[in-house]
Amino acid sequence: MSQTTVNSDSPPARGDNALEQSLYAKRERIYPREVHGLFARLRLTGVAALMGIFYFTPWITWDARQAILFDLPARKFYIFGITFWPQDFIYLALLLIVAALSLFFFTALAGRLWCGYACPQTVWTEVFLWIERKLEGDRSQQMKLDKAPWSGRKLAVKGGKHAIWIVLAAWTGYTFVGYFTPIRELGQSVLSLATGPWETFWIIFYGFATYGNAGWLREQVCIYMCPYARFQSAMFDKNTLIISYDAARGDPRGARKRSTDYKSKGLGDCVDCKICVQVCPTGIDIRNGLQYECIGCAACVDACDDVMEKMGYPKGLVRYTTENAIEGRPARVLRPRVLVYACMLLAVIGTVVGSIVTRIPVGLDVIRDRNSLYRETQDGLVENVYLLKLINMDDVDHVYRLTASGIPGLQLKLDRREVLAPAGAVVEFSARLQADPYDLGSQSTEVRFTLAAVADEAITTTEQARFIGPGSGR
Amino acid sequence: MNEAEIPASQRIIGILWPSFLTAAAATVVFFALFDPVELLAYTDFADSSRVGVYTVGFFLFWLLTTTSSTLTSYFQRPTRTPG
Ligand code: SF4
Ligand code: SF4
Repeated sequence: MSQTTVNSDSPPARGDNALEQSLYAKRERIYPREVHGLFARLRLTGVAALMGIFYFTPWITWDARQAILFDLPARKFYIFGITFWPQDFIYLALLLIVAALSLFFFTALAGRLWCGYACPQTVWTEVFLWIERKLEGDRSQQMKLDKAPWSGRKLAVKGGKHAIWIVLAAWTGYTFVGYFTPIRELGQSVLSLATGPWETFWIIFYGFATYGNAGWLREQVCIYMCPYARFQSAMFDKNTLIISYDAARGDPRGARKRSTDYKSKGLGDCVDCKICVQVCPTGIDIRNGLQYECIGCAACVDACDDVMEKMGYPKGLVRYTTENAIEGRPARVLRPRVLVYACMLLAVIGTVVGSIVTRIPVGLDVIRDRNSLYRETQDGLVENVYLLKLINMDDVDHVYRLTASGIPGLQLKLDRREVLAPAGAVVEFSARLQADPYDLGSQSTEVRFTLAAVADEAITTTEQARFIGPGSGR
Repeated sequence: MNEAEIPASQRIIGILWPSFLTAAAATVVFFALFDPVELLAYTDFADSSRVGVYTVGFFLFWLLTTTSSTLTSYFQRPTRTPG
């Protein structure tokens, strides 16, 4: 059957109807053929490095503590020497902005680099495919096995594959939970089957997600579930690096012998072997032009280069290129879009680094006592009561002193003159403010509490509060 | 395109998955702002573990977002057949 042949004057991208149909068509199982080559090696390096980082990181110790631990039960995030608190939520938000901007930047520059080399979906699918290949053999053997009736051997091979997948997925779930609860202790409780209900739940949940996504869903995740795949085209322009088939060089396609003078027969360089289609993990034909299913994995580049080499033709019939280059126009790498993304990215990274470096490791929350608006003392002063919550985010103990300002002659009354807070502790205490009613401009006046560490003047923070009085009408 | 042509499995993924993502984001923001121990201090759930509350919270958010997605999907059906 030759329904994949597309004549050269058909539009490069699929029409909307064809796209919609393919989007919702019943899925045919895809058996990606194994590839070797430059980009396959690059991807393998990426997969190995990322897997290594993911599985190894929770085991690193730093200052006698797990180096990277998002301690949800204690509401503290440890990242090497620094401890982050819920009050530091802003950093998480900034980090997400950095991640989004990097994605924009790299997408504008080089298309779906992320998808092809770094996305967890690609990485785990790659590993699961590798296991599948080891057990079931290459593409044609896999297809044969699937068609064959159930037999003892088929059962053993399939069962073995799923067993290994499940073990790997369970280990992945365990590692994942190990980022949120100390992994060594977790390991002991797993071994003694004594994990808490929630930990058990999340290990199974994440393990199951890995098994399902990498073992079963695969390219469907990219096609139907990935939001990035849907909006990345907005970041593309004619200078974005994409994977493309050189139609001018390749068409008209046709099979031929290696020795044929195909040019005199009017044929292009494409021998129509369809190997590029067979290796594609999303099952598309790159010769139909840029399609949104293409995750930019470059498997077809490696595959076609191989064919070209065997035929003795120059490589690069399918290659990394830009739309401009294919159309014979000059390609520019540094263009306004890329520069704007780069500047924004640098600005946000600068802000994050700058604010972490100058981060002051003390936090103060002030809540007015809800039970009474204000009270008058025997001396005719107006008194407000506040509840203060001090968080020592430093790694050492500190003694703090509190001051208040905002109203002339404002007096601060404390039970203790100084507050001691151990490293990483939260201390609550109450404070009373007294002011002369004649000094109060209005019913509600702004006051400021300033907390400073006795030993280190730089560790200081100021928090605002309202002072309620009877108003100026008297 | 005819709605009926979309396989049920993809409709379900199309409802569950975006709601999962929004629920995850909502959970992170919500529990960064509110500590479950303080939230539940004066209720019957005062001795729940934090991770437990996070988990239940996540699933409640997911239930909420799923409901919303399902309703959207439902209301997108044509009210009458064209023709
Ligand atoms: S691998 Fe190359 S030669 Fe073979 S069909 Fe694809 S583009 Fe043509
Ligand atoms: S078309 Fe090529 S680069 Fe795109 S997903 Fe398929 S094999 Fe990978």
